[in-house]
Amino acid sequence: MPEVYIDGKEFEFEGKPKLLQFMLDNGLEVPFFCYHPSMSIPANCRQCMVKVGLPVKDRETGEYELDENGERVIRWFPKLQTSCNTDMSEGMVVLTQETDELVKRAQKDTLEFILANHPLDCPICDQAGECPLQIQTYKYGPEGSRFEVKKVHKPKRVKLGPRVTLDAERCINCTRCVRFTDEISQTHQLTIVSRGDKNYPITAPGREFNDPYSLNTVDICPVGALTSADFRFKARVWEMNQTPSIDISNGKGCNIDLWTRDNIVLRITPRYNEYVNDHWMPDVGREAYKIFNENRISKPQIKLDGETVKSSWNNALETFAEQIESSASDELLFVGSAHASVEENYLISKMANLLGAATPLFVPHIIEGSGDGFLLADDQAPNTSGCRLLGLQETDAEALRSKFDNAKVVILLNDNLADRKILTEDDLDKVYTVFFGTNRGHTSETADLVIPVTVAAEHAASYVNVDGRIQRTFPAKETKYANRRLNLEMSEGRLDRYGTSFDNWVTEDNKVDCMPLWNIFHDIGERLGLNLPYGSGREIMSEISDTLPSFKGVSYEKMDDLSGIQLTKETKQVKTK
Amino acid sequence: MKMTSDMAVDWKNYEPVLIPNIPDLHKIDVYEKHGGYQAFKKVLTDKKSWPEPKSVVNEVKEANIRGRGGAGFNAGLKWSFMPPADGKPRYLACNGDESEPGTFKDRKIFEYNPHVFIEGALIAAYAMQITTIYVYIRGEYGDYIKMMEKAIDDAYKKGYIGKNIFDSDYSVDFYVHSGAGAYICGEETSMLESLEGKRGYPRVKPPFPAQKGLWGRPTTINNIETLSHVVSVINKGADWFKNVGAKNHPGPILYGISGHVNRPGVYELPSGVPILDLINEVAGGIRNGKKLKAVIPGGSSVPVLRADQLDGVTMDSDSLREVGSMLGTAGMVVMDEDTDMVDMLWRITHFYHHESCGQCTPCRDGTGWLEKIMLRIKNGEGEIKDLDLLLDITTQMEGRTICALADAAAWPVRHTITRFRDEFEARCKKSIHAA
Amino acid sequence: MKYEFTKEELEQIEQIKGKYPEVLPATLPVLWLAQNKFGHVNEDVQRLVAHTLDLPEAHVHGVASFYTQYYKKEMGKHVLDVCTCLSCQLCGGYDILHYLEEKLGIKTGETTEDGMFSIQEVECLGACGYAPMMQVTNDKYVNHLTPEKVDQVIDALRENKELNYERMKMPLLNENDI
Repeated sequence: MPEVYIDGKEFEFEGKPKLLQFMLDNGLEVPFFCYHPSMSIPANCRQCMVKVGLPVKDRETGEYELDENGERVIRWFPKLQTSCNTDMSEGMVVLTQETDELVKRAQKDTLEFILANHPLDCPICDQAGECPLQIQTYKYGPEGSRFEVKKVHKPKRVKLGPRVTLDAERCINCTRCVRFTDEISQTHQLTIVSRGDKNYPITAPGREFNDPYSLNTVDICPVGALTSADFRFKARVWEMNQTPSIDISNGKGCNIDLWTRDNIVLRITPRYNEYVNDHWMPDVGREAYKIFNENRISKPQIKLDGETVKSSWNNALETFAEQIESSASDELLFVGSAHASVEENYLISKMANLLGAATPLFVPHIIEGSGDGFLLADDQAPNTSGCRLLGLQETDAEALRSKFDNAKVVILLNDNLADRKILTEDDLDKVYTVFFGTNRGHTSETADLVIPVTVAAEHAASYVNVDGRIQRTFPAKETKYANRRLNLEMSEGRLDRYGTSFDNWVTEDNKVDCMPLWNIFHDIGERLGLNLPYGSGREIMSEISDTLPSFKGVSYEKMDDLSGIQLTKETKQVKTK
Repeated sequence: MKMTSDMAVDWKNYEPVLIPNIPDLHKIDVYEKHGGYQAFKKVLTDKKSWPEPKSVVNEVKEANIRGRGGAGFNAGLKWSFMPPADGKPRYLACNGDESEPGTFKDRKIFEYNPHVFIEGALIAAYAMQITTIYVYIRGEYGDYIKMMEKAIDDAYKKGYIGKNIFDSDYSVDFYVHSGAGAYICGEETSMLESLEGKRGYPRVKPPFPAQKGLWGRPTTINNIETLSHVVSVINKGADWFKNVGAKNHPGPILYGISGHVNRPGVYELPSGVPILDLINEVAGGIRNGKKLKAVIPGGSSVPVLRADQLDGVTMDSDSLREVGSMLGTAGMVVMDEDTDMVDMLWRITHFYHHESCGQCTPCRDGTGWLEKIMLRIKNGEGEIKDLDLLLDITTQMEGRTICALADAAAWPVRHTITRFRDEFEARCKKSIHAA
Repeated sequence: MKYEFTKEELEQIEQIKGKYPEVLPATLPVLWLAQNKFGHVNEDVQRLVAHTLDLPEAHVHGVASFYTQYYKKEMGKHVLDVCTCLSCQLCGGYDILHYLEEKLGIKTGETTEDGMFSIQEVECLGACGYAPMMQVTNDKYVNHLTPEKVDQVIDALRENKELNYERMKMPLLNENDI
């Protein structure tokens, strides 16, 4: 295979990679701004400069010319090259800032030029802490400023769109946002306006940047020029914990990161997954963070004489057990949910099986035509395929209602059927409804017994997306019974690890009084004499993969290593370029 | 200053061929009467002298027509970079975006002899098997755009452009495209972007336009004057052309002389005329009896020369390079002894700041920074360290950008300050730290 | 004000589109057409051009803002572009600019009260040998300016007289009016 020599080390390569991407893949660092692996290469920031040379080949013999030391003679390119668009070739010699003074100087000069007109906004800029300009200036930039004249002034705090705020002075004109709207989301809503150092990105006059993928430009903007209007001034990056998770607002299953501080989810950003969503996610998925924080059911509730009262866990579980024991198995109706995880649906299914009741039903939440063929599927629930693969019975509103007529006790897993208008509140009133739910709504208000379970941000569980890929979440929020230090699945931020108790104040009210379904069923199982001894989602998945052929070989380690596992035939790759 | 009239280039007896002394040459009948379109007819129909398009390329390469747009690259050599024809569109883009300060020569061709340019472009198109020719004329030249459209229309009517010209199997189309006020669109790839209807951002090279130009197809870009010279090369032969003017930069040049001279204007003369002859004899000497102070030989981008550096310097690439400047577009700007070099340099930095396209970092921020420091120095607020800072910035800008505008902005600053250092230092405040 | 193209103009636009293999290159010529008709290409005109050519509005806005000859707002009836670059600066371009400012009572970049004149300072117009000079409304060049000539031109424009094309001759060839 052909080789290149970078900073004196030899590397082999195949195919036709570009130099910068190759160096990044091999753990070498070269600063850059405008380059993005999923978009076209404009090479306009001029930051990724390196010195490149090719060995001289004798025309006739085809041999490399050697100098007196026996080393290959290198013909260096007369100018420094931008590594992002340099094609690699056999025998190429590359010197980066680690080994060459001129390259180091060139990178420093570029940063000096960028900083010349860049406003001193770091103290009030949301990007601080995750700002490539800050990081690269610290590592490769000039010590002080020689710019003693007036900086260029441009519009600040512009409401570019309903979710994105523009600060034109901070913009370094890398054109990532414009290329995103041209190549990825293809709405062509952004352009660079004006010329020279007065240019900045903007929409057409009188139009707003309402692209359904607009917040991705906030992620890719290397400075604080484009910021999220919703997240503005909420928290500093270093105060938050970053936890990988899965988007549960849509069946596409985009990989996300949850950012929490003091157990409130403050924002959602996309996580790279080459098989599902590349670097992107739709804006509606980001707004879903609110359901983790707001309107949560905390502490079980029981309806007594038409009034809802809070109850203790013991009381609630005892009530549940009594309802089960006093009903025949054909009077029990179990309803699973495409909004709940694979493990939770499996538990419902197992309990129904052990009690001799019918296989649980579920009503898919699919709105035809609401998808866009990119990262929004018609399916509004994250686990419809999972329910199908587990063997739950798919049904619709009509059939479900008729089943209600024959049932005495309905055990409903986290599906807001009344809010979705699948059933009316009267339908739910006719039977004794036990609702394992997360958020308050019509369904929770109507149910007779409400037992709060963990939401996707609070447990490690898996979901199968519309393309048949199983992926899992990590817990980001503590509950009243889960502790960040003890639960090894949970992430710890800087303040958790190094802060004192005065740094990392903990608001008890932010922790919801709920429990994972497997802990609840463990206690119920003991009470009812059913074998449901699971302590975690991991154990449940282990049993699922052993018993169900469609889940063969699935484990949490494997899902983490391979960025999810494709269970069924691949349907469609997400389009990137 | 010695007046040199005994030198190798016999410019006094030169008969102009590009813009000859014939009235109404812009009318196609007059042009035809004086032998117009004969060269084009020959290359298309005389298979004995011109067996194939490649023979035209070779003749032009032999003649060494160095690009008159400023870069000075052998036009025939550039033509030979085009890949073989494959039946799909190929383009010739003629660069009429004459915006370099000091340059005003191509407009003369548009006005007085448009058909020599059209014929030259057609010959070039045949040589490279081009399917469509675009001439990009700067938007400010509204009158000349109309003149070119009329001339092209006349040529179409007479059958010199269109399908199966002279009953051969060669067809070509010719269109005029108007710019809209951007100096950067004179850069070849920026002109292609502007032709494609976008903002004029220069493209990264490689890929070169001959491989991937307009709409991804092979494209050649040539200056108007360069293409106009092709006609005389075909008519009179490469040997005639090579023997006009200096050996390293052969052929006639349209000199545009402006500034503090008595007779500014465009002159068609052989290359290699001594600069002092141009100023004192051709242009009638410095006006108001003043003395010469400085000359910019080829448009604002090339380094300025002091009057004491001009002895024996001739207007060709080698001579000017030896003395530390360039030929560029041969748009000479002459400055007399009363000229304030600081003011002049500030205005040049203002020009580049205004015209930078803003795509890449060193040019976008560098040109603005240069102008702001020059403004301080011009207003008497500058310090000596600002001069060294300016030189530093020019080093940081040069060679780091996508196109050469940053170089063109850096060279005047560096060389004007270096060559007129005393004047600049006198304009600066005495630093409180000065000895 | 409603901005529209007439049927003839739409046919002209079709002809313009025919010169190029795709629609995008027609952006600049159609913006010129619009500016020659309406006197400027403000937001509404840009939107009209974008919809007529079926191109993204943001693209047309970006193109219109890049090039200096497109007026982004309504200007005076006659726009006086005075060149002050290099040769024109050396030959007194700034003096002419200041003279114009005084004469019309406005500063560079402004329009007179009666909407007749706007003054702009522009970069090299390609008439360096005939400095100082100015261009009137993206059209005629007026060369070898002196305060007297400026007065004459302003008077002629006020009376709505057409300016004549000034034929600048080649100094060595002018026996035949070349």
